[in-house]
Amino acid sequence: MKVSAPTIICVLTLALTAAGCDEKLADVAGPTPNLQPTFASIQREIFNAADSSGRAACTQCHNAGNRNNAAGMSLTEGVAYSELVGVPSSRKPGAVRVIPGDPNGSYLIHKLEGRSDIVGQRMPRTGGPYLTEGQIRIIRRWIELGARND
Amino acid sequence: MIAPHRLLMLASVALVVSSLSASAQTATTSAANTTSASAAQDDDPDMDPNRAQPDFTLLSLPTNLRLPRHKAAFRVTHRFGRPLGQGDFGDLAADLFGLDSGAQIGLEFRYGLIRGGQIGFYRTSNRTINFFGQYEVLSQKRFPVAISAVAGVDGTNNFQDSYSPALSAVISREIGERAAIYLQPAWVNNANPQPKELVDDNDSVLLGVGARVNVHGRTYVVIETAPRVSGFDDGDHHVSFGIEQQAGGHVFQLNFSNGIGTTLAQIARGGNSDWYLGFNISRKFY
Repeated sequence: MKVSAPTIICVLTLALTAAGCDEKLADVAGPTPNLQPTFASIQREIFNAADSSGRAACTQCHNAGNRNNAAGMSLTEGVAYSELVGVPSSRKPGAVRVIPGDPNGSYLIHKLEGRSDIVGQRMPRTGGPYLTEGQIRIIRRWIELGARND
Repeated sequence: MIAPHRLLMLASVALVVSSLSASAQTATTSAANTTSASAAQDDDPDMDPNRAQPDFTLLSLPTNLRLPRHKAAFRVTHRFGRPLGQGDFGDLAADLFGLDSGAQIGLEFRYGLIRGGQIGFYRTSNRTINFFGQYEVLSQKRFPVAISAVAGVDGTNNFQDSYSPALSAVISREIGERAAIYLQPAWVNNANPQPKELVDDNDSVLLGVGARVNVHGRTYVVIETAPRVSGFDDGDHHVSFGIEQQAGGHVFQLNFSNGIGTTLAQIARGGNSDWYLGFNISRKFY
């Protein structure tokens, strides 16, 4: 069977139809292109490490040896999850650090976004650079998905 | 459960196979037929004017008008960006009802590949390119309705960034020579422009509904809507209506829409509570 050029175009068009893909998460994640909405990824890319924007690692202050100066909260690997999810804030009565499924109600997000209701400074407290909007969106998504220890 | 992408792939393959099969059948018939090409073209019923379906689209949604084999059609779409509800009537008149503002312009070319089958591309000025193919599966000549399968894909940034494939069926019923009504169930993948890792619903299922009615001479009233029935459901449901005049191979249409989207993926992203003026001009090359 002779296959005409228009037929080839048709086949290519339909092949493209089957090849849809999203905007890349890496474009949203900005200076941490490997950041995913999972706890392991947030631990690795945000808590443990500084990034190319110059943002400081959270564990620079939030570590086991510096609890007194860091709201009594350690974000080091192995203990961070149990210090965040469902745990009341030590500084703001009634606030909960991470409420699974509720990023807007989670005090962690308030602190990262620097909302007016926070006690103390916006995090990281170095005065910037702060987490980008995209990085915060990915953390919000992890909370939306149930803040699992995944 | 079959994954959406696999379903899309199967449907696409089925559409291609049916197109190739129809193409082969046409080729066989042509070989056996000793009449000249020009005589055959004269006999092609797809060349006859269709009063009930004078154009290949309603306002943005496709119709079931068949494009004759190896013939072409061209369409220009304009959706002016000024919301008609912005400011008072004096402001609106001063902006010539939106004509002074920028517009999202679309250029479309389509080609009749085989009998009942057409392919085309459409580019809008926000640098989205849409490739599409349409094949009539059932004709109203032998069935109460005509049904076409339509497959297409949007690609943003000149088809380099985010891709939104879509599959749909266009079900139409011509009512004499005066009107045609349409139903278009459609599935759009990646309707949500955000990365799938960050969203609950990445796809949309729409139910396009539309009609074109010949009100006088060659003047038509056209209306369409495409509510999202499941999946990603941001913004208002698409609604558009207009009046159009057919003149020879041209169709001139003045329209009003609650958004400036004109491809299926853009429509799936929803409109807003404002209205926008627009127009379509199409030209058949046969």
